Amino acid sequence: MVYKNIICPVCGGSCDDVQVNLDKENGTIDVQNACKMGSAKFKEVVSSHRLLKPTIRENGKVKDVSWDEALEMAADILVNAKKPFFFLGSETACEAQEVGLHIAEYLGGLADSNATICHGPTVMGIQESGMVGATAGQAKNRADMIVYWGVNALESMPRHMSRYGVFPRGYWTKRGRFDRTMMTVDPRVTPTAAASDLHLQLNPNTDYELLSALFTILNGKEPHPSVEEITGIPISVMKQTVEMMKESNFVAIYVGLGVSSSYGKHRNIEIALNFVKEMNNYTKCNIGALRGHCNVAGFNQLASYLYGYPFGLDFTKGYPRYNPGETTCVDLLREKDVDAAFVMCADLMDHIPADSAQYLADIPMICLDIAPCPSTTAADVVLPGVIDAMECDGTFYRLDNVPVYFEPFTDSPFTETKSNEDTLKQLFAKVKAKKEA
Amino acid sequence: MEALLNTGSTIDEGRLAKGGSKYTDDYTKECAVCWMCAEDFTSLGCPEKVAVISRDRKYSVALSTKVTEAMRSGQVFIPRSIWANVVVEPDTFSTGSPRYKGSPVFVEPTDDVILSAEELVTKMYMGGK
Repeated sequence: MVYKNIICPVCGGSCDDVQVNLDKENGTIDVQNACKMGSAKFKEVVSSHRLLKPTIRENGKVKDVSWDEALEMAADILVNAKKPFFFLGSETACEAQEVGLHIAEYLGGLADSNATICHGPTVMGIQESGMVGATAGQAKNRADMIVYWGVNALESMPRHMSRYGVFPRGYWTKRGRFDRTMMTVDPRVTPTAAASDLHLQLNPNTDYELLSALFTILNGKEPHPSVEEITGIPISVMKQTVEMMKESNFVAIYVGLGVSSSYGKHRNIEIALNFVKEMNNYTKCNIGALRGHCNVAGFNQLASYLYGYPFGLDFTKGYPRYNPGETTCVDLLREKDVDAAFVMCADLMDHIPADSAQYLADIPMICLDIAPCPSTTAADVVLPGVIDAMECDGTFYRLDNVPVYFEPFTDSPFTETKSNEDTLKQLFAKVKAKKEA
Repeated sequence: MEALLNTGSTIDEGRLAKGGSKYTDDYTKECAVCWMCAEDFTSLGCPEKVAVISRDRKYSVALSTKVTEAMRSGQVFIPRSIWANVVVEPDTFSTGSPRYKGSPVFVEPTDDVILSAEELVTKMYMGGK
């Protein structure tokens, strides 16, 4: 049967035009309109390596157990921990993340998400400076200059350029690509850079210096000559860049981890946001993060709404605290500051530095995921996951923080659970029963 | 050789990761790779494999080499993956996010075996369990 307008649950693009032809009898699926990553994810519905049975590790050996036994052991681990840590990954809906946050609060643990190892510094920069933002639709209809700064959009959000950024024909950009100037700032010659009209190949870790120089030029001053050697970009090119922006009607800047994850971190974002504010004295200009992990923006929205902080939540004192560098995932694990972990819908083991990963493998870990990966290998309890937007409904937040409600085209393969939200509610009930016994 | 490490997406890394294929040879071939420019490759003696070593020399990971014009001298790239994160600087500068871009590393020729993702987890992180 053919299903249309399915939301893709892979990156923050939340493409809503995917067409799926699912043949349940023969176990085949045909996917139209999705990118390479999206297409691969949709095939997980019928894949042979899908995790379908809960497992536990007992005396070093992994064995299949019933759903109830796995939940019991998971609840035991969490209840017996002094400082449990919840990594509520982004490849699931806000509804599941909400239950996870409530369990963390109930147990006095800590909660974090992909946001912290993705655009956490971007969010911190926004807290410092505020953000001139716009929806992706605004950029599509209005932007005649697109800047990808520290992001390889063609490979991290493959359809961004065709759906929102560069190629689509908008109301005031009727000729699509021909009505837009595209610029990339990246130390590497990426496919995105190769497709750009202008590529600023700056030296690594010099984003702050380059942004400062652009800011200086925008204010009508001459930057110090040493900035050429530091950034690798001639001042004449910097001046040309500022003029191009000022002469445009609407500039849309998309930042990636190249800005927020290199030296300078949130200060890079802070100065970029201030530059954008200043640029609005000359033309319309906005900035947004290209958020790679599915519902990573959703966790920020949800945690801010529920507890006042966007990530790195610490409930150990009975009320929410937030101190990046202390209450955030990589730091907690590196400093051996938690004694059990619940990892949901993200391969955390794969994404964190060795010091943190080694400790994560040492402590009791529960992992909820759909396919074998380093996190499931190191886990003591594995709970099979339901695939959001394919097997259950829910809400994602798109890269521009627009909520997107999604509906499934097939059912959960498990009789024991309808969704990851359902699984977490079952786990929460067991946790409460044990804690209050 | 000292270098600055850049990590990031490649389309096939994304395809394989999202398709649940992290324990396949294709994933290892795509991600356990160190990209560098021809000049650096030549100065290292044109090795088939290199060891990328963290700044504190605590961790090392063996990778195959790829020569590309996308890189400049003194810079190397590893697709974002468990291999890259072995040598990524773990300090977060009080932001929570490690230095996925611009970590200082050492790169040396090696004959070490390139581990699969599963071998890397079990041998390096789980102590051989």
